[in-house]
Amino acid sequence: MKILEVKNLVRDFGGLRAVDHLNLDMDEGQILGLIGPNGAGKSTVFNCIAGVYPPTSGEIRFSGVSVHGEKPWTLCRRGLARTFQIVKPFSSKTVLYNVMVGSFARTDRPAEAERRAMDVLRFLKLDHLHDTKAGNLTIAHRKRLEIARALATEPRMLLLDEVMAGLRPTEVDEMVKIIQQLRERGITIFIIEHIMRAIMALSDWIVVIHFGRKISEGVPAQVAADENVIKAYLGDEYVVS
Amino acid sequence: MIYVLEDLINGILMGSIYGLTALGLTLIFGVLKVINFAHGSMLMVGMYAAYWAVALTGVHPYLALVLVIPVMYLFGHAMQDIIIKPIFKAEKQVREPITVIIVTTGVWYILDNLSLLVFGPQYRTLQDNPLRGKMLEFGDIMISVPKLWGFAAAVATALAVYLFLQKTRMGRAIRATSLDREAASLMGINQYRIYNVAFGIGTATAGIAGVALVPFYNVFPSVGVLFDIKGFIIVVLGGLGSIGGALLGGMIVGVIESVGPQVMTATWTEAIVYALFLLVLFVKPSGLFGVKYDW
Amino acid sequence: MTRQQFQALSLGLVAAVVLALPLFVRSATYLHILILLYLYAYLTTSWNLVGGFAGVLPLGHATFVGIGAYTSTILSLQYGVTPWIGMLAGGLLSVFVGVLIGLPTFKMRGAYFALATIAFAEGIRVMVENIDQLGPLKINGPRGLQIPPLNFGLANFMFPGKEPYYYIIVTMLAAVLAFTYFISRSKLGYYLSAGGEEPEAAMALGVNVARCKLIAMAMSSFLTALAGTFWAQFTLYIHPKSVISLDLSFEIAFIALIGGRGSIGGPILGAIVLRPVSDICRIYFGDKLPGLHLIIFGVVLILVMIFLPRGLQEPFSGLYNKVADRLTSTVPRQE
Repeated sequence: MKILEVKNLVRDFGGLRAVDHLNLDMDEGQILGLIGPNGAGKSTVFNCIAGVYPPTSGEIRFSGVSVHGEKPWTLCRRGLARTFQIVKPFSSKTVLYNVMVGSFARTDRPAEAERRAMDVLRFLKLDHLHDTKAGNLTIAHRKRLEIARALATEPRMLLLDEVMAGLRPTEVDEMVKIIQQLRERGITIFIIEHIMRAIMALSDWIVVIHFGRKISEGVPAQVAADENVIKAYLGDEYVVS
Repeated sequence: MIYVLEDLINGILMGSIYGLTALGLTLIFGVLKVINFAHGSMLMVGMYAAYWAVALTGVHPYLALVLVIPVMYLFGHAMQDIIIKPIFKAEKQVREPITVIIVTTGVWYILDNLSLLVFGPQYRTLQDNPLRGKMLEFGDIMISVPKLWGFAAAVATALAVYLFLQKTRMGRAIRATSLDREAASLMGINQYRIYNVAFGIGTATAGIAGVALVPFYNVFPSVGVLFDIKGFIIVVLGGLGSIGGALLGGMIVGVIESVGPQVMTATWTEAIVYALFLLVLFVKPSGLFGVKYDW
Repeated sequence: MTRQQFQALSLGLVAAVVLALPLFVRSATYLHILILLYLYAYLTTSWNLVGGFAGVLPLGHATFVGIGAYTSTILSLQYGVTPWIGMLAGGLLSVFVGVLIGLPTFKMRGAYFALATIAFAEGIRVMVENIDQLGPLKINGPRGLQIPPLNFGLANFMFPGKEPYYYIIVTMLAAVLAFTYFISRSKLGYYLSAGGEEPEAAMALGVNVARCKLIAMAMSSFLTALAGTFWAQFTLYIHPKSVISLDLSFEIAFIALIGGRGSIGGPILGAIVLRPVSDICRIYFGDKLPGLHLIIFGVVLILVMIFLPRGLQEPFSGLYNKVADRLTSTVPRQE
């Protein structure tokens, strides 16, 4: 069974069509990369899937059930977690506190939530920072905290929105490793990323969108060679001349 | 029947002045995304300024605008610059600067109680002014002249603010900031300067409302609270951020208040206004005329 | 001495002082002032459940004080119901009103909620001031209701001396503090703080932010109403200007904010620091400078918000930690 099916997804903002009849689906355990130039509608796709706003039309099914109009918190309980492109830590709280908010999705007991949060922090090598205020973290640690919180909700599928933006090359490599480990844990991963090196290395399948429309898809090598994709990124004149 | 028509007209006139007080609230909210809880107190300050200007010199009440508009503009400008700006700077990441609401509430309390100290609790009326008690008669219908002036002032102010926002460079910068402050500041717009100007204009409109009220309304230290509460209700009715909505919302409240007593006691009229407020919150929180998105 | 021991010791010390105080303070006036201080500490702590943890700004909590006071008073005057049951009834009625305000507004920007609380509080005050008789209920408009001091006794929540009131409010305060402490450590507490700070992130982590705020509002409304009944039984006279006034709503919010919202001790610290200010202002300048304490509150509020956004509790808890560190760390070293 497909874990995620998106059928004819449309999302309008006023007169602007941000997502235009998008179709895609994902198998359990897959890593799917979504790329496209700035303003292509990538984050809008995520926001529709994560329940931030309902699609204008079209259907989204998560593990076989239609989740149309469901709110982010119920989707989270269904096993769908996400990170934000602009990280949103609970700045005045400690790292542990931040992650515990996530682990409370699966338990009501504070002691148990703390134990599970510490497990996640150890996995992401953030445990030594558990007592630090989230607002005082470096950008790399903040991105990792963003993943830790989402992971603490014990998702079956994770939407990662530019978790590598602003990281240094060595930090990007670490992040790639983390994502691969997540997949080994059986988590399906849907990722938006601008750093091509990383997304090409990670993804099993890549979907390219431009002006909200799918213009190409395939395995990384296929997509990289696709003329449409190059045009979309560099502009028409490059290919013509 | 004829009385209903008369009440209707006078309700619209008074309501437009309510709308004028709400105009500043809605403008400031549109740009800064905060409610200035001290807005009613600003109106009170404007009323006292107009009252003393007219009482001491004996000029036509509306001539006080020459004094009140610049003074209130500077007042609002300074208040934003000195008190509110530091909080915006400290809470850059915060989506909704609730601390600003708290601080303006503090200003409300300082201003109201300060004027109680300085001017005392007594109600003051501008006794000898050319507008006081004047009525226009159309057959059997009597229309209050000072309220008619207030109506004209409200419509003129709304129009002026609208044109300013649409046609001038500064107006465009204000609209840009209200849409997206980060993007606007990337375009070289100094957001804090915009805030100063928006706050100044909002406060100046409260001053104009004060001038419009002084010819027929009592001046006292807590007069602002009355208009504050009405203003809050009106901006929610009309849709936060909508200038036309503020005027129309004001008129709705004015009409309920003036026509209502024909059929019920005044208390219940007031209750109806609050009930309408709750109803709108439940059914159409973006307001009767409000835009669906935040502008 | 370990840290836990030190904490238990200081808590015990404070409790002992508070409980023993009426043995030494024999003056009814000072006892009265102390009772009011605890009453405000209770009110601000109840306010803090929604205003502090949930990150919203309720500015009409006097509504609930008024509902509590009027419900129990009307029930006891007209129907002979003991105020203790009236207290509960007022609390439940408050929950209904609190939820009514919160339901539409918690889904929107915080400004809407603040606006709605003020408008609602003023609406209710205006209604009460203008209604003498509501169906079978005698409300008595602006004149308010007087409770004749006839049947003293615990069952009637009425006592000739101040001491019983002192111990009742101390018990109520201790209970609401313990409750707040419990909530802050619970899942709900985590969810409230998270939703207050970054609602979008909290929602993505499984938090139904609006629902959590609604629960907090219901709890806060209920607890605040209980204080209304206490107020009525303590002063034996309630009227709209005393229990439903905007001034009361603001004083509660200001004290909690200045003390430090979202912390357990902040609202109490605020009450300890600011209540004497208003008492002194009212006693010495009440005639000549009415409203002086509110000007002072306003100025302090603005200064605190700009320079100490987490409130006065921040430097105080820093100080406490320093003292605690010294006391708890030097002892083992001497061994």
